[in-house]
Amino acid sequence: MHSLSSFVGLIYQYADTVSFLILSAIGLIIIFGMMGVINLAHGEMMMVGAYTTSFAYYSGIPLIISVILGGLVTSVFGILLERLIIRRFYGQLLSSLVATWGLSLLLSQGALLAFGPQIKTVPTPMGSFSVGELSFSNYRVFLFIFSIFLIIGVWSIFNWTRFGLQARATMENPKMAKALGVNTHRIYALTFGLGAGLAGIAGGLFALTATIGPFYGQSYTPQAFITVVVGGIANIFSGLIASAFSLAAVKTAFVFQYNILIGHVSMLIIAIISIRMMPEGISQWLEQRKS
Amino acid sequence: MSQIKILRSLSNINGKNDLGNNYIFWFFFFLLLLLGLFSPLILSRYQLLNLSNHITNIFLGLSLCLIWGYCGILSLGQSLFLGLGGYTYGIVGINLIETHGNTHVALLMGIIVPIFTAFVLGYLMFFARLKGVYVAILMLVVSLLFETFLNQTAGPGWFVGEAHLGGNNGLGRFSGVIREPPSLIFSFRENTIEFVGSSIQFYYLCFGLALITFLALRLLVNSSFGYKMIAIREDIDRTEALGHNIKLIQLIIFCVGAGLASMSGILYVSWGNFITPDTFGVYNNILPVIWVAVAGRKSLTAALLGSFFISWISQWLNEQGDYALVALGAILLSSMLFAPEGVIVKITQKFSVKLSKQ
Repeated sequence: MHSLSSFVGLIYQYADTVSFLILSAIGLIIIFGMMGVINLAHGEMMMVGAYTTSFAYYSGIPLIISVILGGLVTSVFGILLERLIIRRFYGQLLSSLVATWGLSLLLSQGALLAFGPQIKTVPTPMGSFSVGELSFSNYRVFLFIFSIFLIIGVWSIFNWTRFGLQARATMENPKMAKALGVNTHRIYALTFGLGAGLAGIAGGLFALTATIGPFYGQSYTPQAFITVVVGGIANIFSGLIASAFSLAAVKTAFVFQYNILIGHVSMLIIAIISIRMMPEGISQWLEQRKS
Repeated sequence: MSQIKILRSLSNINGKNDLGNNYIFWFFFFLLLLLGLFSPLILSRYQLLNLSNHITNIFLGLSLCLIWGYCGILSLGQSLFLGLGGYTYGIVGINLIETHGNTHVALLMGIIVPIFTAFVLGYLMFFARLKGVYVAILMLVVSLLFETFLNQTAGPGWFVGEAHLGGNNGLGRFSGVIREPPSLIFSFRENTIEFVGSSIQFYYLCFGLALITFLALRLLVNSSFGYKMIAIREDIDRTEALGHNIKLIQLIIFCVGAGLASMSGILYVSWGNFITPDTFGVYNNILPVIWVAVAGRKSLTAALLGSFFISWISQWLNEQGDYALVALGAILLSSMLFAPEGVIVKITQKFSVKLSKQ
């Protein structure tokens, strides 16, 4: 019985880490894959989502709608930022990093001034189940299932809708897409909005499990960056899935055996080894094997 | 013959890979030099202490300017090397100060350890031909990991020899132990000289080092190696096609940058006799990026002025209220939007256009 519960515990930890990585990286990788901009204000997008969720929840709106509202508000916010700032930095990768970092500093410190060091946390819903002596949160199991469905959902948007077709065309060859009548500016803005919205939803979902403050998002970003770097953007979906599942395996094993810090270090070391062998990420490697 | 060669290479100091190769520049240069030399006579002890602190930042700014502005390698975790240098210097210093009576070994180790780290990281990144954005992000992630690691070293088990790592209180008096990192002490035969942070000696040490470093870097960027660096910044593939070993050049300059940043760290620890894990954190990593990006990353002069004056301004803002970091974020963002090459570079360009019109 004891071994069963620790086995379930391990699986649970693994699924939890996978969903953590997928949710925190999905918005980032879409924006990066689409426009080559790594959004260093990604953590602040998550923070905007979390704040909106919390405010909405405490003004009496049901939880699910609060989370969706968090995603929508962040999405609109993202589109505004793209129009006003980000679009000036297309094609200048390093400058866009620095500019979004400035934005990140501005937003997080602005939130600190406006709302103080912490806002009201939202209680974790859904209760728990137990195996043997260990008890597990249902919500985290839900997050895992949700993250899988989220990937499928985003994949369908990119493959089955008109926007998705135009977005993929723009990603492939912006000039040609423009020549064929695609409004690439609009596509960029919408994709940025989609990425920001996904970050906002992730922020809202994690807000139910953590304390929310101005620097809330920054605890998720380093691992999101590693996931994106390891996954690569040859194919954002296979990259994200392969990278999240393999990194989570490494991290879970090391956290189980040692402690959380060793888990983080192991992730970083695996990332550095993997980029030494696959500088363009797992997805590029997978694509090459396919062809 | 050899004298002519030396003279010719020394004239590189006035080369065109940095702002300022006319008499106006050198006039202001000597004006600042005189101001710097005589300021200890005018300023109070406290003002001098602050001035020394701002000067220690210059090395970090110059290191980022060198690797990013001249070689196109952006590192968002450049403060990693500052922290590593500072911590190594502090730990070795605490352990050896009693037996040696000086900090020679600590100083040496404080430079070697960051350079070695840069060598390992740089080898892994540049020889894998990693994209520039990835290099930038990975450096930040490594730096943040050091912050996380050091923050959990508060327990009694975390001693390196006699130095207690001290968790988020860091190395030094705030962690409650008596042993704090020593100030720089040099000894030669019978003579010993100590550079206490608030002293005039320390000020002149920083000032002299900054001056030498600045001039040496001007020589470097105008040398043939400097031209190769700039070629890499402008077009890495073309430079390689011309037969240059780009990976090696990137690695070398990355290590030089780490050495420069470590000097900032060592001087900082020597100045305040403490260092905390915050050094590896987000804000200490964004600061050099702000100095260099706002002033002008493609010029050593601009980076030097930027590091000195913006760190001065940010200290002043800190004294005014809580909005210092918001202001810095706004300054960075607006300068990226309206003066992408840097404010000082933009101003001098306008000025020189006016001059040439007359």
